[in-house]
Amino acid sequence: MPVSRRRPWLLLAAPLTVIAALLLWPIIRVTYLAFQAYGLEEVIAGKPRFIGLDNFREILGGDYLWKVVFPNTLVFAFVAVVGTIVLGTLVALLLQRLGTVGRAIVIGSALLAWALPAVTGTYIWVWIFDPDAGVMRTALEGIGLIGPEGYNWFTERLSFYAIAVTNVIHHSYPFVAITIFAGLATVPDELHEAAMLDGASGWRRFWSITVPIMRPVFAVVTILSTIWDFKVFAQIYLMPGGDGGNPDIFNLGVWSYITAMAKTNYGLGSAIAVLLTVLLLLITLIYVRALFREDELR
Amino acid sequence: MIHRTSPLGRVGIWCATVVLVAFTLFPIYFMLTTAFNGQATSGTDALLPKNLTFDNFSRALGDGNFGRFMMNSAIVTVVTVLFSCGIALLGAVAMARFQFRFRTTVLIMILVVQMLPAEALLIPLFLQMKDLQMLNSLFGLILVYVAFSLPFAIWNLRGFVAAVPQELEEAAYLDGCGWWQMFRHVLFPLVVPGLIATSAFSFVMAWEEFTFARTFITNEPTMTVGIGLFRFFGQNTNDWGGLMAASSLVTLPVMVVFVLAQRRLGAGLVQGAVK
Repeated sequence: MPVSRRRPWLLLAAPLTVIAALLLWPIIRVTYLAFQAYGLEEVIAGKPRFIGLDNFREILGGDYLWKVVFPNTLVFAFVAVVGTIVLGTLVALLLQRLGTVGRAIVIGSALLAWALPAVTGTYIWVWIFDPDAGVMRTALEGIGLIGPEGYNWFTERLSFYAIAVTNVIHHSYPFVAITIFAGLATVPDELHEAAMLDGASGWRRFWSITVPIMRPVFAVVTILSTIWDFKVFAQIYLMPGGDGGNPDIFNLGVWSYITAMAKTNYGLGSAIAVLLTVLLLLITLIYVRALFREDELR
Repeated sequence: MIHRTSPLGRVGIWCATVVLVAFTLFPIYFMLTTAFNGQATSGTDALLPKNLTFDNFSRALGDGNFGRFMMNSAIVTVVTVLFSCGIALLGAVAMARFQFRFRTTVLIMILVVQMLPAEALLIPLFLQMKDLQMLNSLFGLILVYVAFSLPFAIWNLRGFVAAVPQELEEAAYLDGCGWWQMFRHVLFPLVVPGLIATSAFSFVMAWEEFTFARTFITNEPTMTVGIGLFRFFGQNTNDWGGLMAASSLVTLPVMVVFVLAQRRLGAGLVQGAVK
């Protein structure tokens, strides 16, 4: 083989080895483990036991997945993605209307929010909503909305996830806003000017001009946000009750982690992880199909 | 663009900007005022800085052992960034500059592995590291972080490599350079901005990673900052001043990197997204 034919593979040797050993092989292994009984007993015996689809039967057969984990995962991801995209788009449109100074302030503060690590960000939101001394409690108590007995937002599913959604949107809207703002610059001014002469309102122009032209950009940010929000882990795990204390608020990732690591049931935990992976693959596939169809039309 | 905004509209834009900036900066402001506050026993006390003090910081660094955790994280982060960017550059050059069989397959695989959830890789990798007795070692963490940042790094760098005009390479060949010489003297210097953007992403990932650190590291001497915060929170549940001081210490390097790489960050995202 001539050098020029071999060279790409020489260059790819190191990255592909790392990806194969540390990403592809573990995915194969977790799928294999999902079909095994691998709990404390088997760890002591040193050998997992093949049990076919039993793990999946246990997950899919129980109410817990359908009534708690799926709603938590899906509704959270949906609200977080829609919230992030809507807020990001509004901020991008706002940026267009601001002067240089205003723009610098908004982009600068957005960069800081983006840079705030997920772990520290989560602790700050927990501190704001702390049931004993948090600023939210004292403020609401001060204006008489809650009594002196206070209120624990973290035990109730809905309020728990409202805080988680706020945390995730705060952290992820800057990426969407900055990307869409960059994309808006590619929409030709003439289109807006012509539509304005025809008397089209801002709302109408947004849906008939901006959205169709920006569709690929919207598609990319939506795909990325969906994938990120589906596998949110630290932001849930680090909130009170998220590390195992309150099973009402588990999502797929946390459930898998607690089952495998805290309860030492690697087999069942792997099956839940496989379910999450398959779900993510399906979503990616649906989005990519939709994207390609758009491309063919144009 | 022409925007004829009425005075009322201008007030609206003003209000929206103020509300947005307040929402965006409030958590960061609140973290800092709690961290520097001498008596942060309740949230409203912490709102306005009184009794400015460094006590919380010295407690975090002393009892909380945060100096050690930050050192560990710094080692893990620097090694991860060097390794992942180094081998990602080789991969990116292969993908951007060569036509070869299975190129599309490799490209799709790189896209798909980016989507894999950490939770799915965690169980097998944990069992593997346990077998190899690499739990509680920084080296084990580095290996995993390199693998995790690699697909995105290749994807991101590919855009930068493709943007370098092919004519420059050909000119180098005409001057008698071999391929590696051309790579070192022509291609490499031109993709340095791309390397900076990519390093920023790997840096942030490795610095603040929590899930794997939580699972792999149980011994205090090898803990990184993400897990250090978690432990600090568990031990001193009501020491919000200390926790926020530690959080500020963890946040500072990330903010510095973001501000330094800011321009290139944008360029990397756009080029990466448009291929």
